[in-house]
Amino acid sequence: MDLDTLVIQLLAGLTRAGLLFIVSAGLSLVFGAMRVINLAHGSLYMLGAFVASTVVATIGGDWGLFPALVVSAAAAALVGSVIEVGILRRLYRREHLLQLLATFAIVLIISDIVEIVWGTANLSVARPAVLSGSVPILGRPFPTYNLFIIAAALGTGVALTLLLRRTGLGRDIRAAIVDPEMLGGVGVDVPRLFTVVFVIGSALAGMAGAIAAGSGAVGLGMDVEILVQAFAVTIIGGLGSIPGALVGAGIIGVADAFGILFLPRLTLAIIFLAMAIVLAIRPSGLFGLPERT
Amino acid sequence: MTPRLTLLAWLLIAGAAIAAPAYIDKLGILSATRIVILALWAVSLNLLLGRTGLVSFAHAAFFGVGAYTVALLWLHLDLPAVLGVPLSVAVGALVAFLTGAVALRAVHLYFSMLTLALSQLLFVIAFVWYDFTQGDNGIHGIDIPDVLRDTAGSYWFVLAVGALGIVALWLVSRSPFGTALQAIRENRQRAAFIGINVRRYELAAFTVAGAFAALAGSLFALFNRSAYPGLMDWTAGAQPIFVILIGGMYEFVGPVLGAMVYVLLEESVTRQTLYSNLVLGAVFLGIVLLRPDGLAGLVRTLAGRMRRSRLAPVADDSLEPHDTDQLEPER
Repeated sequence: MDLDTLVIQLLAGLTRAGLLFIVSAGLSLVFGAMRVINLAHGSLYMLGAFVASTVVATIGGDWGLFPALVVSAAAAALVGSVIEVGILRRLYRREHLLQLLATFAIVLIISDIVEIVWGTANLSVARPAVLSGSVPILGRPFPTYNLFIIAAALGTGVALTLLLRRTGLGRDIRAAIVDPEMLGGVGVDVPRLFTVVFVIGSALAGMAGAIAAGSGAVGLGMDVEILVQAFAVTIIGGLGSIPGALVGAGIIGVADAFGILFLPRLTLAIIFLAMAIVLAIRPSGLFGLPERT
Repeated sequence: MTPRLTLLAWLLIAGAAIAAPAYIDKLGILSATRIVILALWAVSLNLLLGRTGLVSFAHAAFFGVGAYTVALLWLHLDLPAVLGVPLSVAVGALVAFLTGAVALRAVHLYFSMLTLALSQLLFVIAFVWYDFTQGDNGIHGIDIPDVLRDTAGSYWFVLAVGALGIVALWLVSRSPFGTALQAIRENRQRAAFIGINVRRYELAAFTVAGAFAALAGSLFALFNRSAYPGLMDWTAGAQPIFVILIGGMYEFVGPVLGAMVYVLLEESVTRQTLYSNLVLGAVFLGIVLLRPDGLAGLVRTLAGRMRRSRLAPVADDSLEPHDTDQLEPER
């Protein structure tokens, strides 16, 4: 294989990884702090994509996707806050299973609501004019939009790291990942913190949905598709770890890109095999803390 | 539920199962057959969920393994598909044992995630291995004996095997082994301190549950004369979980009640509206929030209230411990 094919394929993998990272970082954050496996995370992503399609259709395709990023994130955050305050909060003292089941019920509900509002047809969303072209890389054209995705993922990573390392809120979130009971004991309003974390996670999912809307078809079923891959990423990296989500997304994204090139039929198998191998060797993922027993 | 209530529930279920074909039409018998298969599947999953406190996403995969055992036996070896029914128990046990041996290296949610990864791997194998499983086309038109082509005949066969399976699982859950599993659910550490090898017991439970899920899957393959990868996808595993949730996970009889209610509910909702997911999702959400101990828990509470009011009409309720608190192990 030539060098330029290799590089282009690697960049395609990193594009996929970028999107996966934004989704998985939210999933991982919510899991780490709240110990909730949020199956509805993919639904919030799908919701973000559909909201973006409406926003772009309303204000025009030339630059409509930029405000759509914000609107989608806000819409998902709003729905997320309803889910957390209205449903999950009532279940914290119960078994984890009940939260899991509640989020699964939400998956069913959101998928039908999206179908009622937007219908079953696949929608396509125009990319902003500035990002619609391509740039030459080693003499090959590479979509500018893909570079934008990679940049957005890096930006998200930096923002999250600053949030977690440099702010009081971030300190509380990190403490909640280690021991929420102790955090409550020293006077932090843990339920409110959980709401904030869940809203941040939801907003990330919504924004990722809007970004994804610009790079492919928007349709029903994208919720479960992204969820399974985001799980793979989060598990490989370690639940609750942002650097883990980054590394996991890189592994899955690149494996996906090269898998399609060499073993198109086995791409999915490669992802889950990677996941099973990592977990069999390190049950709590590459960067994860061992599960509290 | 009290022993007497449980006995009453079983008698009603058995009576309904035996009497039903005489009173309902062909479509009804098809639904009844679905109920039996779903009940066996859910009861086997509840050995993990309600009994041991293990949340596994792999149960659809084992169901699929059972279905494929029947289908592949017919496709490749040209053997009678019915032979696949006993064989599926062995194949299911083997696959579940291997899966469990890897997945149980982790605990709690990490364990759940590992079962998801491994079951998706099984799904992908069924999905892409065209030469062996015919890939995403699935295997259809499995040849079955004439008796099973008849709606009623197939119902009686499924009922006989399903009842045997459920009785076997009942014996397992009330054995000393089953009691040890319950101890693990209540408190892993304490169970380990009194000398229970937690991991080995969990692996045994996982294997048994997988074997019976495969049995349910083999019945499905005979009943529908097909096996396809969609059976093994982890989202398919939501069905038995919701069945358990409806019926009540803390009682052995719960999933059987749940299967009846689930199938009737789902069939009537699907008939009424295009958006059945919305309705079912809302119902499940309501159960999770209001009655996570399900139908069996509800019956138990009502029976307790009736007994109390008979014994002491002016008893102060606030002094009584809430039934639901006793039912759910705290984590």
